[in-house]
Amino acid sequence: MFKENRDYNKFLWKDLGDIESGRPNLGLSVPVLVYRLLQYTFRDVMITELGVNKTNDIIIKAGRLAGRQFCENMLNRELDFNEFVSQLQRVLREQAIGILRVEKIDFENMRFTLTVVEDLDCSGLPPTDEVVCQYDEGFIAGIMEAYTGKSFHAKEIDCWASGDRVCRFDVRLQKDTE
Amino acid sequence: MIENITTKLAILLQGKVPEKIDTGNITDEHEQNLANRLNQLITFMQEVHDFIIPLSKGELTEINMSSQNFFGSPFKELHSRLLHLTWQANQVANGDFSQRVDFMGDFSEAFNSMIVSLRNSEKLLKMKIHELEKALSHIKTLRGIVPICASCKQIRDDEGYWHQVESYVRDHSEAEFSHSICPECAKNLYPDLVKDNE
Repeated sequence: MFKENRDYNKFLWKDLGDIESGRPNLGLSVPVLVYRLLQYTFRDVMITELGVNKTNDIIIKAGRLAGRQFCENMLNRELDFNEFVSQLQRVLREQAIGILRVEKIDFENMRFTLTVVEDLDCSGLPPTDEVVCQYDEGFIAGIMEAYTGKSFHAKEIDCWASGDRVCRFDVRLQKDTE
Repeated sequence: MIENITTKLAILLQGKVPEKIDTGNITDEHEQNLANRLNQLITFMQEVHDFIIPLSKGELTEINMSSQNFFGSPFKELHSRLLHLTWQANQVANGDFSQRVDFMGDFSEAFNSMIVSLRNSEKLLKMKIHELEKALSHIKTLRGIVPICASCKQIRDDEGYWHQVESYVRDHSEAEFSHSICPECAKNLYPDLVKDNE
């Protein structure tokens, strides 16, 4: 899977392996700093190798793939939207990914404003003038796509890293952003 | 210059927002930097002021603050939480009792208790309504036209079977019967007994 050249995604949830039996002593979790170490070093190298735009594009695509797989394997997609949101909040909290809060839902236009507090990617980062949660953008869009069967676009409009203390996302149907 | 900055800071310390310093005539580089920094602080305090006043009145839409304003970031967080709570309250109003508030201290406990109470009250209310509707359906049955024999007073049900009036009424209402004998019938059935008592 990781050593052949291809132009399509192949990742499936089962590729994460049986962590419980593989790590009987160290367990399922790692500190947030390890996750960030991985993501930000990848990011740093990709920027030097591929440039900022390409790097962000790859991170969003990876987040989208992760979001789809997460939704298909960790969430019940049969629930109605309100119950689905409650479930998503609970699972994100249990997995220590972040505290999801809904600010606004416009069903008619399929447009949502969501926030993530204590975000895995960025909460506590030194302030810069940048929003940095591109992986979250893809992740949220991927979850919505797997749930609705429609293409979504998520854009971070406030970020802890830019001094906002909260990460806010504008989520809408893909066709509305084209 | 120092006097001007001292005055501006004094106004800020009073909770007001002063006019910015005119930097056009400042030639010294250090003074220019100082004035620019103070003007940035004034801009930030103006933004916080413009953000927090409507927020304190519960006006949650149409307010915004620029990124990088670190004085205002806790208020942005508060704003976000209030928007979320507003959405949750609307969800509850529409009957979605799955909503819970997390990590908001005493408020979480109060809000979550309220949701549980509302859910229990609604459940109890629905149960009572069901009982009342059931009782009402019995009353309606007895309110319809009841075919009764002119002679023996038996009642015919919907399927054509005849029942004694006691059993029919008992089966179609919450009423029960206790048997006794009226004075007129007592005279007819037990004339001797009635005569002795008189």
